[in-house]
Amino acid sequence: MNYMPGTASLIEDIDKKHLVLLRDGRTLIGFLRSIDQFANLVLHQTVERIHVGKKYGDIPRGIFVVRGENVVLLGEIDLEKESDTPLQQVSIEEILEEQRVEQQTKLENEKIKVQALKDRGLSIPRADTLDEY
Amino acid sequence: MLGKLRGRKNGIFTKSHNEDITLIGKSLEDCPLDEDEDAFQGLGEEDEEIDQFNDDTFGSGAVDDDWQEAHERLAELEEKLPAAVNEQTGNGERDEMDLLGDHEENLAESLSKMVIENELEDPAIMRAVQTRPVLQPQPGGLNSSIWDGSEVLRRIRGPLLAQEMPTVSVLEYALPQRPPQGPEDDRDLSERALPRRSTSPIIGSPPVRAVPIGTPPKQMAVPSYNQQILCPKPVHVRPPMPPRYPAPYGERMSPNQLCNVPLQPGRMSPSQFARVPGFVGSPLAAMNPKLLQGRVGQMLPPAPSFRAFFSAPPPATPPPPQQHPPGPGPLVQNLRSQAPMFRADTTHLHPQHRRLLHQRQQQNRNQHRNLNGAGDRGSHRNSHQDHLRKDPYANLMLQREKDWVSKIQMMQLQSTDPYLDDFYYQNYFEKLEKLSAAEEIQGDGPKKERTKLITPQVAKLEHAYKPVQFEGSLGKLTVSSVNNPRKMIDAVVTSRSEDDETREKQVRDKRRKTLVIIEKTYSLLLDVEDYERRYLLSLEEDRPALMDERKHKICSMYDNLRGKLPGQERPSDDHFVQIMCIRKGKRMVARILPFLSTEQAADILMTTARNLPFLIKKDAQDEVLPCLLSPFSHLLYHLPSVTVTSLLQQLMNLPQSAAAPAPSNPHLTTVLQNKFGLSLLLLVLSRGEDLQSSDPAAESMENNQWMQVMFMATRELLRIPQAALAKPVSIPTNLVSLFSRYVDRQKLNLLETKLQLVQGIR
Repeated sequence: MNYMPGTASLIEDIDKKHLVLLRDGRTLIGFLRSIDQFANLVLHQTVERIHVGKKYGDIPRGIFVVRGENVVLLGEIDLEKESDTPLQQVSIEEILEEQRVEQQTKLENEKIKVQALKDRGLSIPRADTLDEY
Repeated sequence: MLGKLRGRKNGIFTKSHNEDITLIGKSLEDCPLDEDEDAFQGLGEEDEEIDQFNDDTFGSGAVDDDWQEAHERLAELEEKLPAAVNEQTGNGERDEMDLLGDHEENLAESLSKMVIENELEDPAIMRAVQTRPVLQPQPGGLNSSIWDGSEVLRRIRGPLLAQEMPTVSVLEYALPQRPPQGPEDDRDLSERALPRRSTSPIIGSPPVRAVPIGTPPKQMAVPSYNQQILCPKPVHVRPPMPPRYPAPYGERMSPNQLCNVPLQPGRMSPSQFARVPGFVGSPLAAMNPKLLQGRVGQMLPPAPSFRAFFSAPPPATPPPPQQHPPGPGPLVQNLRSQAPMFRADTTHLHPQHRRLLHQRQQQNRNQHRNLNGAGDRGSHRNSHQDHLRKDPYANLMLQREKDWVSKIQMMQLQSTDPYLDDFYYQNYFEKLEKLSAAEEIQGDGPKKERTKLITPQVAKLEHAYKPVQFEGSLGKLTVSSVNNPRKMIDAVVTSRSEDDETREKQVRDKRRKTLVIIEKTYSLLLDVEDYERRYLLSLEEDRPALMDERKHKICSMYDNLRGKLPGQERPSDDHFVQIMCIRKGKRMVARILPFLSTEQAADILMTTARNLPFLIKKDAQDEVLPCLLSPFSHLLYHLPSVTVTSLLQQLMNLPQSAAAPAPSNPHLTTVLQNKFGLSLLLLVLSRGEDLQSSDPAAESMENNQWMQVMFMATRELLRIPQAALAKPVSIPTNLVSLFSRYVDRQKLNLLETKLQLVQGIR
C-alpha cells in the first residue's frame, strides 16, 4: 500500500529497522514499531551505537519512545548491507573508554584554543553555553 | 467542542497540546445500568458542554466509589482469573450488558466477563447482540468521516471530533466499558471492551486488558469506524521481554481467554493454536492486518502475541463488501472492508483522491483474498512479507492506527490554495508530470503509473469574525483574541525631517527605501508571473478582468523601477540606478523585462547603458549583471535601428559629433573590461550589423547615423590600449563582417586581435 506518495510519511517505515540520530548526538538503531503525527517514535529492540573512530559499540536499550522533536534524522537500514561495514565492533566497555578518551582530548584541545584566544584578547563563546534557541 | 462522554466514571479531562479532550483516568466502577441506558438514549440530541451524567463529577462516583481500591482489587483478581472464567461460556449477552453498565457487580465476575469479548465472534454473543435495539442511523447515515461535524461524532464514544485529533493511546486505555451510545450491536464492541484500568500497569505484570491483546476490533457501524479511524486502539505494549516466540498465547492471553473462546465451525480457537506449534510461523503473514483488509468470510489463525485477531463471521453470510451491511448482524469485517461498504463520506475529497482511496481498498481486499485463499501459507510475494512473517512483533501498530495517522497527515495537507501553501511541491510534481507526458509522447514506453498524492481540497470559507456580544448588555466586551486582536500600543509614526538626520542616516534610509521598493515590485512580479496559471484556471468572464489587473500591475512595476514622478518626465536615472546597485534589484529587472513593452524595456536598456560604468563598479562583488544579458539580447532583436544606434553611442560613450576631439574614454575601458559590458557591446554591434545587412534599402538617415557611429566606434576601439579584456559570454559571428566595412584590412586585423573576434586566436 502506497501511503501518501511523494511525502515523508513514516507509515511505510513501520516494522523496519531504522537508524535514528537524536539531537543530543546519540545514535539509536531499532525497529520502528509505531509513530504518530508528531513523528514520535516507538523503537523496539533498540541499541545505542557509539562510534569512535573506526570502532563502534552497541548498548542494548530495549524499547525507546522518542519524542519527535528530538529526532534529527532517521533512515532505514538495509538488513543485507548492514553487516557490510568497514567499522569494527568492540565491546561496550571498550567503546565507552574510547569515547571518554576522545571527549577528553577534545576538551583539552578546546581549552588550549580558548587560552590562545584569550592571550590575544579574543573570546569566542562556546556553542554549548549558548542557549539552544 | 467536547465529545459526549456519558457514563464515564472518574473521567479526567485534560487538554492536550492539540486542544483535545483526553481522558486519562478511569476506574472500574460504573453507574447502574439503567442510568446509562437513559443517558444513551438522549445521546445525540443535546448539545451541552457539561456531561451531567458523568458519575465521577455528579453521580455516585464522586461519593461512594474509590477507583483506587477497585484497581487494587482488580489487580488481585487478575491472578485469580483462571478459576473464575470458566463460568463464562456463552454468556455473551450478559457480557455485553455488563460491559455496558453493570459495574456494581463484583470485580471477579466483571473481569471474567470482560474476557469473553464480542470481538471473538462468539455466535452466541453475536446473536445476543442482535437482540439489542438497532442504533438509529446517524444523520447522514454512512457518510460520516473524519471531517464531519461534531454532531455526528458526538455519538462516538470518546472525544473524537471532527477537527480535533485526539492524542492517541491514553484514550483507549482510559475509556470505560460503557460507551455513551444506546444500542450497541452495531457499535464496535471492541471499543467498549477496553480495560477498566485507571493506572498504567506495573512493568512486567500482565496487562489489565479485558480484550485479549490479539483481539481484532469489531467494526460494525460507521461511527465505530470513525472512532477507530480517529482513535485507534493501541495494543498494549508489554515491557521488553525476551521474545519467547514459540509460545503462541502463553503470556499474552490469559489462559481463561484461550479456553473460553467458543469454537465455531471453520474457526480455530486460539487454544487450538497453542497446541499446534507448527502453525506458529505461518499465521504471521496472514495476520498482518494490512493484508487482512477486506477479508470477509475467511478465517485467520491468530498469531502469537500482539496479533490482531480477526475472526470470520459464520461462513454462510458474509455480506459482499460493497453493500450496505444489513444491520447489526454477526458481521465482522475489518476496518478496511468497511470503507467501501459504508462509502464513508468522501465527497469532500478530491474525486481522484476518492478513487485512489477506494482503489487501494480494493487492491488490499484482493490481496488478502489471494493470500488467505491459500490458507496460512499463502504465497509470499516479497521479502518484506517474509520478514514480517518472521518478526513476531510486527504490526504492533494496527492498520487502523496507521490509517489514523495518515488521515491526520492528510488533514494537515488541507489547503485552500495549494499553490500558495505548497508552491515547490506543486511545481515539482507538475514538472515531473510534464516530463513523463513528454516521454510518453516520444516513446511508446510502458506507462508508469506514478501514484500521486491527492491532497484534500478545502473550499475557502469566508468567515466574518464577529466579536462576542451579549444581548441586553450595554457596550461591548473588550475581548481580544487571535481573530480580533486589540491594539496594545498606540504607536504613532512620525516622519523625521531631513535636517535632523546625518548624512549617514540619509544614505541608510535611502537604501532602505530602495529595498522596500524592490520588495514591493517583486511581489507584483510574482503576481504577474502567476497570471498565466490563473488565467487557465479561471472562468471566461473573469478573464478580461484578470488581463486588466495584469496590465495594471505591469505598469506599476515599471513605475516602481523608474521612479514615478507625477507629471514629469523621468529625468533622473537615480532611482533606477539605486535599484540596480542591489543584487536582488538586478535579478528582478531581468525577470521584469520580458513583461514590459518594447519602449519601456528599451528605456531600461538605455538607462543601463548610460550608467554602465557605475553599475559595473557596484556589481564588482555580486557579479550578477550577466543575468541581464539574456533578456537584453531578446530585447535587442525587437529594437529598431535608431535605438540601436543611440544605444551604441551610449554604451561607448561616444561623443555626439564625429568632429569632436577624442578624450580618453574610461567609460569604454570599463565597459570592455567587464564581462557584461563587453558582451552587451558585442551584442549591440551584432544587432546593428544584422539590421544593416538585412535591410540595405533602409532609410539613409538611419544608415548614415549608424555609419557615423560605427566609424567613431571603430576609432575608439582601435585607440584603447590592449588592456585585459573581459571574456564575453558569447561572441557573435558577424562582427568581422561588421568591422570590415568600416576599416581597412590592417586595422581590421588589429581589431580582430584586440577584441579577439576570430575564434582561432582564443
